[in-house]
Amino acid sequence: MDRYVSDPVELPAVEGEPEFERADLIFHGIDHGGDSYEARVFLDRPEADEATPLDLDHGYAGSFFIFGHGGCAGDEGHCDVPEDQTDPDDLRLAHPLTGATRQVIVTEALRGVSGESFTFTVVPVLPGADAPRREDVLAFESVELLTFD
Amino acid sequence: MPTVPLAPRVPRGRIRWRRSVAKLTADQLAGVRDAYAWTQGVSDDRGYQSQAGVHGYPLPVSCQHTTSDRFASLFLPWHRAYLYFFERALRDRRTQLAHPWWDWAAPSAQSDGIPRAYADERSADGQPNPFHSVEINDEAMAQARRAGYDLPARTRRFPGQPGTRLPTALEVERLLGLPDFWSFSQQIEDLHGQVHVYVGGREGHMSAVPLAAYDPIFWAHHAMIDRIWRIWQLRHPPPSFTADFLATALRPFPMTVAQTMSVRAMGYDYASSGTTIEVG
Repeated sequence: MDRYVSDPVELPAVEGEPEFERADLIFHGIDHGGDSYEARVFLDRPEADEATPLDLDHGYAGSFFIFGHGGCAGDEGHCDVPEDQTDPDDLRLAHPLTGATRQVIVTEALRGVSGESFTFTVVPVLPGADAPRREDVLAFESVELLTFD
Repeated sequence: MPTVPLAPRVPRGRIRWRRSVAKLTADQLAGVRDAYAWTQGVSDDRGYQSQAGVHGYPLPVSCQHTTSDRFASLFLPWHRAYLYFFERALRDRRTQLAHPWWDWAAPSAQSDGIPRAYADERSADGQPNPFHSVEINDEAMAQARRAGYDLPARTRRFPGQPGTRLPTALEVERLLGLPDFWSFSQQIEDLHGQVHVYVGGREGHMSAVPLAAYDPIFWAHHAMIDRIWRIWQLRHPPPSFTADFLATALRPFPMTVAQTMSVRAMGYDYASSGTTIEVG
């Protein structure tokens, strides 16, 4: 995808109880089999793009970085990630292209959110002034919001 | 943290200090460059091509980066072992050699980018600078082209392209404050990727996992990552790792995760600078 804009995410809050001490957005199943890139995360800025300043005033919450493996140098099937890697008798390490997990600590940005829900936008940025906008660089399976008291 | 206990009567070598490349004396810098030049001229498994190829091409790609949170994060232990065994290979040439580390969060790096020790094409003596670039072997390049990389065989860098930046000292300090290993490992791996992309840019080898280790600055970058882990270990209680995690073998190195937990047991540590004063 070129950019990802989430649906509204509810902010769990209990009146009279303290605000969270830390908040994380955890991205699961990120494809890292292609180019290297930065994924910039903005809160409540659905219009955010590569030119949006990286500060709290513009909703910037943090980034994760994908150090990409490029294409596949092996034969057919070499870079296919097995669907099931849970065999306890299989002592091989995880397939190198198993979808990645990345954690973005969004505490300060989330504290700046007004209202009971927010959206988040993920903007992939490839290096270079003439870097092509790649619609296929950003891909992930799910995102968790975790808060900690 | 788990350490390999020292037996009281088994003599061990002195601790080797990994120093900041910015604070190496001229003789120290010349010594490390001499070892690099030597290993770059060795064509067997002690040589640079073999060592760099462990990380990526030629297949198999052995480097360990964090994948899913369903699997243990071997990023830090694996790269600590990788640095250690390359350092041992360099020490076949210079017995007291230790990797220099590049402090990319220092003000000088923020303003100047790649340090001159790595950026200069030639050393002070006029010889080609072995820290500048390396010609990659044909087998690795053939696989890179098969994978779709359009990169030359000689490593190159495009530091500071638009859309890239180096991590700051404040960002490093923030992650050093994280108390749990999983978060720390995640965050430092992100800073690590950030530096790879800063150095390599769009068309440099440092941006590509399978070729990055051929760029000589890779080792100074990873020594900095390893140093930050060492500082984190000094500031926080040892994590309660599972026995399975600690017993994991770090292929292809004859070393387990447990054996990477103490840099002192591995015979090295980090300093900013260091000089030995011989008393005659």
